Amino acid sequence: MTTRADQPAVSIRGLRRRYGTGADAFEAVRGIDLDVAPGTIHALLGVNGAGKTSTLEVVEGLAPASAGEVRVLGLDPVTDRPAVRRRTGVLLQRSGFVGDLTVRETLRMWAATVTSPRPVEESLALLDLTDRADVRMRGLSGGEHRRVDIACALMGRPEVVMLDEPTTGLDPESRRAVWALVRDLRQQGATVLLTTHYLDEVEALADRVSIMRAGEIVREGTVAQIVADHPSQISFRTPDHALPLPDGDRDQDGELTVLRVADLQPALTELLVTARDRGVVLERLSARTASLESVFLDVAAERDRVADHPHPAHPHPEHDAVLEDAR
Amino acid sequence: MTTTTAPAARPRHAGLRRTLSLGRSNWTLMVRNRTTMLYAFALPLFPLVLLFTAERSGGDVNAGVAAIGTTLVMALTFPGYYNLLSMFVTRRDELVLKRLRTGEVRDRELLVSMALPGAAIVLAVAVICVPVALAGGLELPLNPLLLLLGVLLSIVTFAAFALWTAAWTRNAEAAQLTSGPIILLAFLGFMLPAFPEDLHRWIELLPGAAVNELLRVAWFAQDSGGASLSFLQTWGAATQPVLVLVAWTALAVLLARRSLRWEPRA
Repeated sequence: MTTRADQPAVSIRGLRRRYGTGADAFEAVRGIDLDVAPGTIHALLGVNGAGKTSTLEVVEGLAPASAGEVRVLGLDPVTDRPAVRRRTGVLLQRSGFVGDLTVRETLRMWAATVTSPRPVEESLALLDLTDRADVRMRGLSGGEHRRVDIACALMGRPEVVMLDEPTTGLDPESRRAVWALVRDLRQQGATVLLTTHYLDEVEALADRVSIMRAGEIVREGTVAQIVADHPSQISFRTPDHALPLPDGDRDQDGELTVLRVADLQPALTELLVTARDRGVVLERLSARTASLESVFLDVAAERDRVADHPHPAHPHPEHDAVLEDAR
Repeated sequence: MTTTTAPAARPRHAGLRRTLSLGRSNWTLMVRNRTTMLYAFALPLFPLVLLFTAERSGGDVNAGVAAIGTTLVMALTFPGYYNLLSMFVTRRDELVLKRLRTGEVRDRELLVSMALPGAAIVLAVAVICVPVALAGGLELPLNPLLLLLGVLLSIVTFAAFALWTAAWTRNAEAAQLTSGPIILLAFLGFMLPAFPEDLHRWIELLPGAAVNELLRVAWFAQDSGGASLSFLQTWGAATQPVLVLVAWTALAVLLARRSLRWEPRA
């Protein structure tokens, strides 16, 4: 084993990924750094087109980096491909199987390509596919198809597992089953790097999360850390008479006044006392502490602002549309 | 439970094991599709009927070369070339290839495993040719080893053509059109007599003509002028067609390597 306990299972430095050349060129990944500690689950969270899949494809060794360096278990996924592939499992965002093979034949074929595979029957049981073993792939539902896909990813008992949107398109029950499976993988010592745009998935699974936007990592940490750094939010219908407001970021969202404050309780008390003293009714009043959802929405809103008002740091205001196309 | 191979297995063996088991799955799929199977055998074997037409029967070498040559080129073109092309393009479209490439399989193992079923059918057709030709009054191949090597080389050439075509074929439907040039290259060699004399030496450089020439030399021990060759002379006479096939293969592989994609175009 070349892995040391103190060495990250996945390490990314200054990764850039460019598509196209000349005037059509654009950068889907714009210089990201990332370390995934062994035995942890790390989520890349972002809207479609944020650069999650483009990043993962380099880690998987399917695409070369335009710049920067990627190490998986201390190895280069392209030049050390055979060694890396023996110890990793990959689930693509979308992938296909030959429709005329049965589930068992598909797993048997996959097992034949793996150095030390799980027995096929064990794989079938692991993903609850035993009853469907003799059904041809084209007869499976989307969720069953995804489960076969996951069974292949886990066939070689990988040390590092890369899952690109593992539960997209699954029903709620299957999603929970996949979550349990991913937690089991961590329990057995595997490292998991996954992408998702589901907040509940991140909250349920991730030890650490990196929020991506437009090819960059804009927040990173545990869910608790990310949420703690984020202001709480108070909103109410803007009253007819101006009201002195507590300190904080103030914003207008349609007819609502939105306040962002670091400490919710004193700010809210101050607001309510002022309103009572002046006899102002705060309609549609709502107050909430930060959540992963509010952080995520704010990050998305920052993106919209970037798109509306080109900023020197983002020379291509149209890149969001282009990124969608690139996926 | 045991695993099929110990982790310490030498990489070369592991590669062979992966190639053969993927090839076996591809064979299963081919057999499962009855129509493909029927076409794969019926189409190439049909020209052998020519051996039994009254006028030409009786061991005429030219008739033999025409019938068996057409059979071999048909087999190389349809179950060989076209089958690999359409399998590659369809699986690329369906993201099957992309999925497999995330695993331990190497690209060249994947390619060989997809070419194997077609290769097996071409070999089977070539073997079937022998008793049928015998029944049609022809003699047994005079240099069977050279014939076998020639058939194997042509299989590789036409597989390389399939990859080259796949490199610029957008999807499975497009393959019906993009396969045209290669099918033409394969069959133009037969129309030698239809071209003026001074074009002949160029036509001889086409892959279909090279297959025909190898057949004439290896099976009937005759050179293109019709002169008889000894067993030893057949090896020398095979040099030109072999070089022609090797050159076409190298060209196709070179072009394929430059632009072969493994995922559908975005």
